[in-house]
Amino acid sequence: MKPGAFEYVAPESLEAALAVLTDRGEDASILSGGQSLLPLLNMRLARPEVLLDINRLGELATWEVTGDEVRVGALVRAARLERDAEVLATLPVLPEAISHIGHPQIRNRTTVGGNVAHADPSSELPGVLAALDGSVELRSQSGTRTLSWDEFFVSVFTTAREPEELVIGVRFPLLRGWDVRFTEMARRHGDFPIVALTVAVQEDGGVLTGLRAAATGVADRPVRLTEVEQAATGRSLDDAVIADLAGLARDAVDPQPDGAGSAEYRKHLVGTLLSRVLAPELGRSAA
Amino acid sequence: MTVAPERPASLVGARVRRVNDPRLLRGEGRYVDDVHVAGMVHATIVRSPIAHGVLRTFDASACGALLALGPDEIAAATRPLQCVWLAEGQRQTEVLLGDRRVRYVGQPVGVVVALSRAAAEDAAELIELDYDELPTVADQEQALRDGAPLLQPEWGTNVAADFRVGDDAETVEAAMARAARVVERRLVIPRIVPSPMETRGVVASWDANLRELTVWSSTQTPHHVRDHLATSLRLSADQVRVIAPDLGGGFGSKEHLYPDEVMVSLASMRLGRPVKWIEDRVEHFTATMHARDAVHYARLGMDEDGRFVAIASDVIGNLGAHPSNVGTGPFRISGSMLPGPYRFSSAGVRVRGVLTNTTPTGAYRGFGMQEAAWVRERLVDEAARELGVDPVELRLMNMVREDELPHTTPTLQDYDSGDYVEGLSMLRDMVSKREVPSDANPRIRRGVGYGSQVEFTGLGPSPVQKIVGFHLGGFETGVVRVDPDGSVVVSSGVMGMGQGIETTLAQIAADKLGVPLEKVRVTLGDTKVAPYSASGSIASRSMTVGGGAVTRASIALSDKMRRIAAHQMEADAGDVELVDGVFRVKGVPSTGVAFGDVAASTWLGWDLPPGEEAGLEVKDMHEPANISYSYSSHAAAVAVDLDTGKVHIEGYWVTHDSGTVINPMIVDGQVMGGVAQGIGIALYEKMTYGEAAQPTTTSFLDYLVPLSGDVPDLVIGHTEHPAPHIPGGMKGAGEGGTIPAPATVANAVAAAVPEIAGKVLETPLSPGRMWELLHEAGLHDRL
Repeated sequence: MKPGAFEYVAPESLEAALAVLTDRGEDASILSGGQSLLPLLNMRLARPEVLLDINRLGELATWEVTGDEVRVGALVRAARLERDAEVLATLPVLPEAISHIGHPQIRNRTTVGGNVAHADPSSELPGVLAALDGSVELRSQSGTRTLSWDEFFVSVFTTAREPEELVIGVRFPLLRGWDVRFTEMARRHGDFPIVALTVAVQEDGGVLTGLRAAATGVADRPVRLTEVEQAATGRSLDDAVIADLAGLARDAVDPQPDGAGSAEYRKHLVGTLLSRVLAPELGRSAA
Repeated sequence: MTVAPERPASLVGARVRRVNDPRLLRGEGRYVDDVHVAGMVHATIVRSPIAHGVLRTFDASACGALLALGPDEIAAATRPLQCVWLAEGQRQTEVLLGDRRVRYVGQPVGVVVALSRAAAEDAAELIELDYDELPTVADQEQALRDGAPLLQPEWGTNVAADFRVGDDAETVEAAMARAARVVERRLVIPRIVPSPMETRGVVASWDANLRELTVWSSTQTPHHVRDHLATSLRLSADQVRVIAPDLGGGFGSKEHLYPDEVMVSLASMRLGRPVKWIEDRVEHFTATMHARDAVHYARLGMDEDGRFVAIASDVIGNLGAHPSNVGTGPFRISGSMLPGPYRFSSAGVRVRGVLTNTTPTGAYRGFGMQEAAWVRERLVDEAARELGVDPVELRLMNMVREDELPHTTPTLQDYDSGDYVEGLSMLRDMVSKREVPSDANPRIRRGVGYGSQVEFTGLGPSPVQKIVGFHLGGFETGVVRVDPDGSVVVSSGVMGMGQGIETTLAQIAADKLGVPLEKVRVTLGDTKVAPYSASGSIASRSMTVGGGAVTRASIALSDKMRRIAAHQMEADAGDVELVDGVFRVKGVPSTGVAFGDVAASTWLGWDLPPGEEAGLEVKDMHEPANISYSYSSHAAAVAVDLDTGKVHIEGYWVTHDSGTVINPMIVDGQVMGGVAQGIGIALYEKMTYGEAAQPTTTSFLDYLVPLSGDVPDLVIGHTEHPAPHIPGGMKGAGEGGTIPAPATVANAVAAAVPEIAGKVLETPLSPGRMWELLHEAGLHDRL
């Protein structure tokens, strides 16, 4: 279980990295935190000619909280965001979601850009990005473009990133006046979730004035539960409404079965998680 | 009450820290991968990517490796490996090396050596391999059907062995016919991957000058590996030296020599260079023996008052692609131990060992007894549910009482000593003191379940091993020496594999010789140094059989030193005591000869009593008179989330009796680790095969083991009924944590959700599986 031969390139500047991608992007794998790529390399499931190590690009390792977003450089380690007081105060759903990614040692290495660019269909952060209507910044030698999450995530491990492009940042918009919550069901803490759900709620006097819900683990990419969102607006959150929304959520997804459970199980989980995240006082899960 | 007594003045029973831990915690341990020998090169194993077929082409001519050996060269240079546990009429008793017929994904067909592991893997990719594929079967019940693909077509069946344990079928059926009630279930135990933290590995080094092969191997059984390597490579036993350095766990999977390890050794002999091969984790999932994987059609018969009459099972065991070293052994032991702690007038089991296109199965912590406990303890709880009685009361009523011991089961197990009723009663008291969580979510159900077991530990005796067809000696040897400087060296054929045996053997020797623990060194694991051990560290036998030998050797050596000291003080040996390192005549504190001075003079051969030999070394060969039977009862409190299907273990209690406890801290550790692995079987672990018998769980992403957060804090109570026939009274402590844990957790789940109790027949109780059971039971009316 050792990688096949590859050329290792570790540029010191973003410009140099982009030059590598311009020349050889089709044949390159990009190494950031390595938490998914290194096993794939070791199992020889990934066979790049060039391994482009971007860990020296310090300019991608910063984040900033502005009036309307948290903009995270691609190379920011998940653990650093998880422990940042300003992020916790501004967008607490982000550290909450991050706390479910693997284990502390993994989060010390894993990067926000790498996590999003890997596009695992059950992963936590793509779901948060979808609920917040976030976006992904890509740069190549010919310029920068920003893609909405919906444009960026294409399918399983597949994004709209072109071979000559590098994900340089991830933008999490702040929803002022909304309460953003995250929940997931995983077999063990730290596993990829069976279903993860990010829900943003806007209420006025007990009446829902806005709802956004994004699920991962139920399709080949994050999905927004638009039927639920539309049905929720203008209603007050009582048990009957929650049950109704949970039913809609179940009908809104069409998951595939796998070793973790049947399609039916995943459909029910989406509803269960939605009802629990909307009415946390109804009870915690068993674990 | 026989709660383990504190013995403040004694090192036996003392909670002393493990002597190896500081070294290991500082990173100063040496595992096989830490062995570096000058000139060493690296091997990778070529494995079959298909589950059934014939390897037509193996062409390594263009691979560029230092050495590449294909199936024909390997077969020509080696003898097959002999299975050591043979069932009556077992159709296959050896494992061919270099077989062109492949029968499971992962079967080794060649070895490639290069300057680095990566280069070896690069070269292996350049070997031209061409297989003719054959139809496959992975499930043992499907393999029994007419028209199933046959792994050994000349047999006309996939059944490699078919035999009975205990009463014959007629006797069992007669007993069942007399029973007022029979509980009958199909119970399944999943296929488990042992998953020690350290995978297998060897460094093989052929010395062409001495004509000796030295092999560092991550093994539980260095002498067994030596004997089989020598036979396979056509060397004399003495030409092979096996050194087992620190072991990062084995759990049974490292109890014999594997074909790939022979191939690496052969490569070293061909090249005249040391060759290293470390099994990687993905390899481990198919290249190292699996375990369990049995289907039981089981019945429990009882009278109208709930008194057990008979227990029976039809066991269909999945052997994998060929019988492993121990073959049907685990399935047999499931039968032998099926009665557990209860009285039965009849017990009988039919065992069929079936070949399939999967990795061979063999030893894993619990060795058939976890399966027996799963079957029996689920049946007992199902019986209690049907009868409407408390499952603990039903157990207590049926347990063999202390005054009925010794007791011979219908499966011919001679239970020695203990008080099973006491252990379960004590457990129930412990559980009754728990705090029940107060949240009142109606979608969370809670329940407590119990499981009890009696455990076969301390294998031999050798004659018993002969009777059951286990072709290994069951004795163990202890060598204890006091060197001229007064330091003590203990050696035995058992192996340290993380369980702490180095510490407990040292405790025994220090206690019997009257020296501080720091004076004792324990050397294990090197066939050039350690006395011969056929069976090694398996079957919870290291302390029982090896510790018994060290106990007797230490006592004999202590007696000799006392005789010599008495002679030197012109006193009677019976009047001599050892106080603070000085032999004294009792009541005469002015006399004295230091322990070290006795040692020095004895190695000089000076001042010895007439007829006393010089030197201070005693070798004791301990052949136990019987198996020693440990026992335990477990209880689990679980919460079941009806909507997510998740099972959360909120409390776990154990009462455990392994005879004399040498170090309660180490026994607690054994229980905790064992329970963790049992929880793995209960909730997480299952090796699966898909289309064309391709393995589908080949990394820790798919095959889940419990993490520390998934294992609750345990409350452990020890009782202590010494083994009457073992010097020192010890019984085995390695497996009692694992054996009843899956049944205990499942019984708790069944208690929490009675609506699904009758369907809790198979593990793991994963959220996805649990949800299906809950859904089928109509528990999802509410969204």
